[in-house]
Amino acid sequence: MNAARLIWASIVAVCALALAPVQAAGQMSLHGRAEIGRVEYRVRDSGTVQPSSGVVFGGALGLLIGDRFEVWGAARGGRLTAATAEGEDRDVAEVQLAGEAYLRPWLTAQGGVNVRSYSTPLARQRWTTLRLGAEAHVPLALDGVRGLVRAQWMPVVSVSGLEHPDIALAAGVGVEWRGTRVSVRALYTLERYDFSGSAAAQRLEEVSSLQLGATFRLRTSGPKASETTPSP
Amino acid sequence: MSRIALVALLLGAPAAGAAQGTTAEMLDRAVHYHAELDVEREVAILRGIVSPNSPFIVTQEQRGLAYKYLGAALVVRGQADSGILYFRAAIERDPFTELEPQKFTPKELAAFGEAKRLTFALGVRPVTPDTIDPRTERLTFTVLSTHAAALRVELRATGASTVLSLYAGDNDGPRELQWDGLLGDGRLAPPGRYELLVTGLSRLNQRGDSARLYFSLEHDHLPLDDTLPTLRSDELLPEQLPPGVARSELLKGFGLAAAALLIPRTLANGDLQGGGRTLAVGVAGVVSAAGVAGREIPGNVAVNARRRAERATANTTILQRNRERLAETRLIIGPAAGVGP
Repeated sequence: MNAARLIWASIVAVCALALAPVQAAGQMSLHGRAEIGRVEYRVRDSGTVQPSSGVVFGGALGLLIGDRFEVWGAARGGRLTAATAEGEDRDVAEVQLAGEAYLRPWLTAQGGVNVRSYSTPLARQRWTTLRLGAEAHVPLALDGVRGLVRAQWMPVVSVSGLEHPDIALAAGVGVEWRGTRVSVRALYTLERYDFSGSAAAQRLEEVSSLQLGATFRLRTSGPKASETTPSP
Repeated sequence: MSRIALVALLLGAPAAGAAQGTTAEMLDRAVHYHAELDVEREVAILRGIVSPNSPFIVTQEQRGLAYKYLGAALVVRGQADSGILYFRAAIERDPFTELEPQKFTPKELAAFGEAKRLTFALGVRPVTPDTIDPRTERLTFTVLSTHAAALRVELRATGASTVLSLYAGDNDGPRELQWDGLLGDGRLAPPGRYELLVTGLSRLNQRGDSARLYFSLEHDHLPLDDTLPTLRSDELLPEQLPPGVARSELLKGFGLAAAALLIPRTLANGDLQGGGRTLAVGVAGVVSAAGVAGREIPGNVAVNARRRAERATANTTILQRNRERLAETRLIIGPAAGVGP
């Protein structure tokens, strides 16, 4: 099975995961999220490190199905400005389809597909990744506040013009306040991609970001609405 | 010995009662003779009553009445000067003594008027037990000067230095003064004993006199409710986490912060010299603050605040109810002997 097929299979799996419990749960909540993030992007190609950074804006719609499953669709975009004269500015755009399952009150299993593109005046590079991971929730003493720790493995990464990376990992730490209808979150994440190659010529890429997001419960249907405002 | 005294007392008691009754009968007979102008018999009876050697018990009131009729009889007999003397004796004992015009002749009335001009005395009628509502009713004092005088009437509570002036000015004869139960500061007079002091200076002979009246004042209102006491510590929930739990929360916050700081150091590729360390420091600061600030228990704080608010509301209601009851206070007035027991 090639990468494209695996990704499509994952999309189908996420959708199935999202739709399967609808009938059983009989209750759904629609959520919307707005976010803004500071992104730092570093790439080393042919021995030269090209850092760039910028502000990325995004929005997402999520569906909480019952009280155990969620599915989110998100889109983000922004412009990353090169930090050096040799580097190139690039636009970044990303769409994401993700599903979550609450395994324990403090543990969530995550899975999803990201399609991201980096565009420069000369070329466009598209990344398609399948992510699998987990997120732990650490309740803090402040009412409604909890810490977030997440780790993700990207078993399938398809990059246009490149071989798939040998290492593709992501991790993040954040804090979230959850109110009755609104939740606010700050999340730091780091993605690491190491491609194959000799030590000196090895291509390395890294994306770190600090996202601030506000999630709103837009609509609830079903016999019993959940008072919580989950987030992926 | 004690038995003998007891027997003597038992034998003497009815005799005294009979004697008092006898004095009253003698006075009735004297008044009857006065109406029939049988002055000689009247004088004989009255002299017997006022004599120091009288075998009968004579009250002050009876003695004053005897002096009054004796003075009138002597005036009728043509002994006006002696009559005036007896009138003065009657007035000195009771400044409120008066001759009723329908019972006495103009000559007697003229002599009595002369006696009042010669005698300067001030009087104040005793208060009768009464209950008044100070919002609508007044307590009435009746004071008197036997003739024209500069009069001053003051009221003061026992032991108080402040004085409430009820009247200051010229007066001749009886005067009614009304008191609304308030002191000079506009507050209701507190319970206790009060003294009404009447002082005056005669306009005719520059002699001075004074009279005092003591009375007690009590408040009558529905019982007041006590306000709720301050909440005890065992009635409030702990608003701060116990030190052990707080330490645990602090460690969780610092642990998350440490994780945020470790990610760019461990997960990031060192060759890229990046990892968003600044961003990681930012989120580490936020989670640390969440751990440090999380010592308060918001739920308990809210419950305690609600309990305190409920207590404050209840106390406000109680105070309002007490104020309404106090506003309906009635004053119970009664005669008193002096400023204290």
